[in-house]
Amino acid sequence: MSTRGFDAGRAAYYTLNGAILVFLLAPIAIVAVFAVNPTPYISFPPVGVTLRWFDKFFATEDFMVSLWLSLRVAVVVLLLSMMIGGACALALVRGRLPGARILTAFFMSPLMLPAILTGLALFQVFQLAEVGRPVWGLIVGHTLVAVPYVLRTTLAVLANFDMRIEEAAASLGASQTRVFFEITLPLIRPGIIAGGIFAFIVSFDQFPISLFLVPPKGETLPVVLFNYMKFDLDGAIAAASMVSILLALSVVLLLERVIGLKAYVKL
Amino acid sequence: MASVADTLSPALPPQRRLRPAISPVAWLAGPALLLFVVFFVLPFGVMALLSLLSGNPVQNPNVYPTTRHYARFLGDELYYDALWATLRIGLITTFFSLLIGYPLAHWMARMKSRLGHALLLMAVIAPMLTGIVVRTFAWMTILQDKGVINTTLAALGLIDGPLPLMYNEFGTIVALVHIYVPFMVLTLTGVIGRIDERLEQAARNLGASRLRAFAEVTLPLSLPGILAGSLLVFALAISAYVTPFLMGGTNVLTLPMLIYQQVSASFNLGFAGALGVILLAVSLVVVIAYNHVLARFSGQEGLT
Repeated sequence: MSTRGFDAGRAAYYTLNGAILVFLLAPIAIVAVFAVNPTPYISFPPVGVTLRWFDKFFATEDFMVSLWLSLRVAVVVLLLSMMIGGACALALVRGRLPGARILTAFFMSPLMLPAILTGLALFQVFQLAEVGRPVWGLIVGHTLVAVPYVLRTTLAVLANFDMRIEEAAASLGASQTRVFFEITLPLIRPGIIAGGIFAFIVSFDQFPISLFLVPPKGETLPVVLFNYMKFDLDGAIAAASMVSILLALSVVLLLERVIGLKAYVKL
Repeated sequence: MASVADTLSPALPPQRRLRPAISPVAWLAGPALLLFVVFFVLPFGVMALLSLLSGNPVQNPNVYPTTRHYARFLGDELYYDALWATLRIGLITTFFSLLIGYPLAHWMARMKSRLGHALLLMAVIAPMLTGIVVRTFAWMTILQDKGVINTTLAALGLIDGPLPLMYNEFGTIVALVHIYVPFMVLTLTGVIGRIDERLEQAARNLGASRLRAFAEVTLPLSLPGILAGSLLVFALAISAYVTPFLMGGTNVLTLPMLIYQQVSASFNLGFAGALGVILLAVSLVVVIAYNHVLARFSGQEGLT
């Protein structure tokens, strides 16, 4: 690019982009401000710094029970979606399946079809089957929307996979099982793990499916927060938000370390 | 389809017809297929079925097929308005997501520094990884009567009373744009990144201003990304529930809100199903168009 003194066009370009970045990030920063602002209701400008909202969050049983449930569900969803999604990605790339492309679109579709409908449809089936609202139903619902993430990251890794490494191992006398465990699996592992981390976050933050599938008194954290926000907007919500934001941020850093964020550019 | 394709392109390479046998690896798709058939396809089928029945077929043996749920939708202006509000909010959200997402995506795609690129990517992905409820809460603290904007403007003496920034469509759309812009940016970045920068350079060497080179070279070449990103954001925005509910208050009623209302308050599974089918139909059209656009313009990558 040119390096001529002041350039109004470039200045406008960077100003615009700076403003967009502020729009993107300022709301998150503002939540952090309210999480430590001592006034009983959300008010601006902040008047001080306190940790009482974090105390309230961690001392409120409803919040803690739901946080614990959300974390447990997210861990199970992480494991399930890594296994199901990872295996499925291998099958789609290596299985020589007819219509593999359509199948891929099919498995990715929970990301694009309204999640609220996935929740509604599962709710209706559980109603007809008279199973109520079991936790496994919630896990199944979350896994449906988590599998596409694992699928995407694993497919991205498989796309750059040099199959000759496997052929070399096989020609050197390795059995099929050994090739799989010593070559294939280690090479696609970063994709599966990165997808799993995404799956964890997706499940932890999941709202529309949970809304239909959680029983009263057995709600996940986002649903509890939502119900709380209908009536009350105080710092406890901000503190709860900070806890989940910090969780998400640490996950982003973890992701960057495991596989690099580039794998997500393509949606 | 197959016969038409055969007659139209007789020169199809032979290996396309002689598919190699399915490999045993294909069985690995089994668990995913089972999960999706039992808990995705079947439930949507049940939803469609319930929308055409007079009641719950398990509890009541005397249910009969009916189109009354759809008739109810068509016969009441309230539902018609809700559908229109859903589409309108979706369209406006998509438009502003594009307006805001494009410059950022362009910057990111043209960013030479690896560190800068990684930081931008993080700035885009971090909000995505923050839950919808949390992000809606953030906008409530900003836009409510005693929120950041109104108190700041009042303190500066610029306004006498609070501006109506929330509990209306405006607030809903602002929050929705914030929530869905990252999807737009990521889709656009991929497409803009694949445009050869030298094309724009060539236009400039031939005397075009930077703006004109962008408008006549880069912008048209990024159309597939614009289309795909817009379809994606639209599909997501029309299914939003939390944000219209909390930001719109009683002044906004969208299809997803109606659907949950039918389940939680009226317990009318049939009508909820009918509303679901209508929303699904709109989404399916959008999703199919999205896949079509991506598959057509970027080869294999549309589906992953």
